[in-house]
Amino acid sequence: MGWRWLTRMKTALGMLAVLALMTAVATAIPQAPNVPGTVDAWLAGEQGPGSAVAAALHAIGAFDVYGSPAFLALLLALFLSLTACLIPRIKAWVILVRRSRPPIMRELPHDAVRIHTRQDAATTANVLRDLLGTRRWRLRVDQSGQPTPADVASRVAGDTGVSIEARSDALVVNLAGEKGLWSREGGSILFHLSFYVLLAAIVFGQLLTFEGQRGVIEGEPGFADTEVSYWAYRPGRWFSGADHAGWQLDLDAFHIDWIRDPHAPGAGQPTKFRSDVTITMPDGDMFVADVEGNRPLVIDGVKIHQLDWGYAPWVEIEVDGDLVYASFITTVASDDGAFRGAAKAPAATPDVGLELELFPFSPDGDDGLPRLTGAPWDDAPLLIFHQWRGDLQLGRTQQLITELDTNLLEPEGFGFMRPGDEVELNGVVVRFTELRRWVGFQVSYRPQIPWLLFGSALLIAGLVTALYAYRRRVWMRVESDPSTGRTIVSVYGRAFQRPEKFEVDFGALIDEMCQTVDGVRSDSAAGITAAERAKEGAS
Amino acid sequence: MTQIQLAEWSRVLYSPTTILLYFAAAFVYLYALTTTVGRVKDRVRGRRAQQAAGVVTVLGLTAHIAHEIFRGLAQDRLPLGNMFEVTSLMALVGVGAGVGYLQFVRKRPELNGFVLLAGGLLVAFAGLMYAEPGPLMPILDTWWRPFHVSLLVAAMGIFAAGFVFHGLYLLSERAEQVRLVMTESSAGAATTTATATVSGAIVAPQVRIPRDAARDATTAAGTPGEPDAPTIADPSVRSAMRQATSPFKLGIGMFLGTATVSWVFIVAGDTTAVGVGRFLGINIAMVAAALIAWWFTPFLPSAQTLDGLAHRTIAFAFVMWTVGTIAGAMWAEQSWGRFWGWDPKETGAFLTWVVYAGYLHGRATRGVRGRLAAWIGIGAFVVLMGTYLIANYVIVGLHSYAGL
Ligand code: HEM
Repeated sequence: MGWRWLTRMKTALGMLAVLALMTAVATAIPQAPNVPGTVDAWLAGEQGPGSAVAAALHAIGAFDVYGSPAFLALLLALFLSLTACLIPRIKAWVILVRRSRPPIMRELPHDAVRIHTRQDAATTANVLRDLLGTRRWRLRVDQSGQPTPADVASRVAGDTGVSIEARSDALVVNLAGEKGLWSREGGSILFHLSFYVLLAAIVFGQLLTFEGQRGVIEGEPGFADTEVSYWAYRPGRWFSGADHAGWQLDLDAFHIDWIRDPHAPGAGQPTKFRSDVTITMPDGDMFVADVEGNRPLVIDGVKIHQLDWGYAPWVEIEVDGDLVYASFITTVASDDGAFRGAAKAPAATPDVGLELELFPFSPDGDDGLPRLTGAPWDDAPLLIFHQWRGDLQLGRTQQLITELDTNLLEPEGFGFMRPGDEVELNGVVVRFTELRRWVGFQVSYRPQIPWLLFGSALLIAGLVTALYAYRRRVWMRVESDPSTGRTIVSVYGRAFQRPEKFEVDFGALIDEMCQTVDGVRSDSAAGITAAERAKEGAS
Repeated sequence: MTQIQLAEWSRVLYSPTTILLYFAAAFVYLYALTTTVGRVKDRVRGRRAQQAAGVVTVLGLTAHIAHEIFRGLAQDRLPLGNMFEVTSLMALVGVGAGVGYLQFVRKRPELNGFVLLAGGLLVAFAGLMYAEPGPLMPILDTWWRPFHVSLLVAAMGIFAAGFVFHGLYLLSERAEQVRLVMTESSAGAATTTATATVSGAIVAPQVRIPRDAARDATTAAGTPGEPDAPTIADPSVRSAMRQATSPFKLGIGMFLGTATVSWVFIVAGDTTAVGVGRFLGINIAMVAAALIAWWFTPFLPSAQTLDGLAHRTIAFAFVMWTVGTIAGAMWAEQSWGRFWGWDPKETGAFLTWVVYAGYLHGRATRGVRGRLAAWIGIGAFVVLMGTYLIANYVIVGLHSYAGL
């Protein structure tokens, strides 16, 4: 299990298989970094295969595959193996590029194509060399000039009128051309090297990035881009608080609309989703901008996305004439169409807690009572509250702002209100004065993105080259034939990939050669060529 | 026309028009294929049938394209917004590219029947997920989306073609083995020298060629090949080539293989009955397609041709998949503010990529050839379809549009 083992293709394939297996697990099983709620539900046995299976899955790290030590180990092994395999390949490639020359073939096979021309051999050879050069063949020219004995012998046997002496001063030029040798292997190397660029971009990206989320209520003061103002704050290890620009974002208005006709196609889908914001830069410059679903606002490389939204009712709580709570409450949409939130008033004794459900469109029915529709537009909002008293345990238990910890609270009943209404329940007055909306913004700084794009470009360029640069060789032999005063060019080709495509290309090359040297193709001796045979087979 | 009328037209153009035209063209093409071994009169009829099938194919493609255009007009957006639209377009690309390639590049129009059969199945399969035209959520409305989705859809269609080629390869390869044995034994009846030449040829790769050559000889000149070389003009040879694969095993294998993916429909159906109905419908259709292909075993191109086709098809789709996945990451960064979040769809796309990369690696190093390559290619397609359906139907709801 040493270096050699690492460089084996089988090892790489095995690792790819393990990577695929882990990815399959990550596809099928909820991942904690994505959907922590679902993972908790699985662990609690409320969803999924049951808590026992979930506990086993948890033990092997299946809920966070890409954060598990096994994955890190695999990644390390993959890159070690990649390195082990690439070093010799790159070395060999450099040698290939610097030294290798296409081999000269002195005796072309019998089915080589023959072209006759009246131009002299030296001119023909030069013209053909230039032609191959402009077609990007790497060339090697051999002008040793002497026909080989075998060549002479065959010629004598075939063409009795010519003496050996007469042929010995004939000019013979051998050309060899090669294509695709560097590029195919080079493309493959580039493709694999791009993984290092991508990996580096991902690792450094993790360290330098920053992502924060914050909800803002329409018309209310927004937030400043500082360490402390985000609700959720995820800086990379190398991102410090001093890196924040410090601008201020205020939400002037939030526009949302839906297809309201229940019979129209796509009924209920949102059609508009836009925030009008005002940005105040640290130097006092102000400007307005809008943020839409697919158009984040970019300030100095920091992107502001509009991610979430909800209704924000203004709720006041009065106990024995004292105002103990007055605030906008950010409520969050749930599947049944209700927007849920909570009001927590520790200023009262004992504490007051309200669980709130806002149904934005609840018109009155024939009986005068509101009907809940679940539609999201706020044409007839109705706020339902459940009142609790006791100990909110603020600061002592982990709590979401949208939920109460009801362990030490006693229920006191419920009520419902329209905007402007107030309800009294057990000496507590609850007031619902105004309804606004809030928007959840995500602010992110990701310096790795240009590098990821660069790595992706390398990857694609390398892949296309590795798959579609075909290795080909051609050999030509240019010789003068003193008996006729003509020059004969013999051409032979070989394809290492896609031979059937090469037969077409080869035919085209022959045609082009005939044109440039003003020659005629003669397929006398050995008869038909490979290209022609292919044509015959196809017809 | 009003949008409602447009929507109605687009529905009719799709089902039944496109579905029926594809299947009709497929069956006429396949009929034409069987006449290539018949008498002269049959062959003339076959050639006419092939021309007729070409016309039906063009009609089918026209109906399909018209459906896409009408649907686009009815909802005022590109029809690439949901599973139905994506699968339908995948079928359109697959049929158009497949027929175009066979007809104009390879000049083997007699094979169009297989492409159309696969296309008809895919179109019918998409019909199971039919959704009325409607507008797109604003979040889905960006330039990256059609770019990303169409690339991945086209890649899926081409991967599907690679899967079909690999499946046909397995049929063809077994049949060739049988023919080789028959060649050997018929040559064995001749002189010893003849046996030596023939068995000498068996190890060389060219042995695959005689079958095509023999067929070309019979089709071109109208005479059977050499009397002692088994040609497919001989019904007993055809039957023996078919019997190389057991139709029962093939049918059961296809049923079970399809079930590894189609179980998703049982889980995702509104009711168990609907789910089981779809599951059985898909499985039976796949088994039927496999049996039709099985019957056509003697008429298939050589195993070598199919193997090469499959490899090149998959390599091409792999490039598209790579670009399409990267485009998807760009879209996610644009819309959600994160370029990669390992959600099931992203993970599934990555899994498909890794599996097909494994396939290409295996082939590139000469270790994996022929049957093994075919099985890996088929397995990779199962992974592709599985992740596509699971990520869309089983794990829905986890990744709806909600950020905080
Ligand atoms: C463990 C790390 C890896 C090693 C040692 C490795 C090694 C190789 C080698 C030696 C080749 C050239 C084969 C040939 O042309 O004869 C190759 C080709 C290739 N590799 Fe990798 N590779 C690794 C990782 C990957 C990964 C992670 C991917 C993508 C998911 C990948 C995708 C490809 C592709 C697409 C080809 C081109 C295949 C072809 O030429 O047909 N490789 N790899």
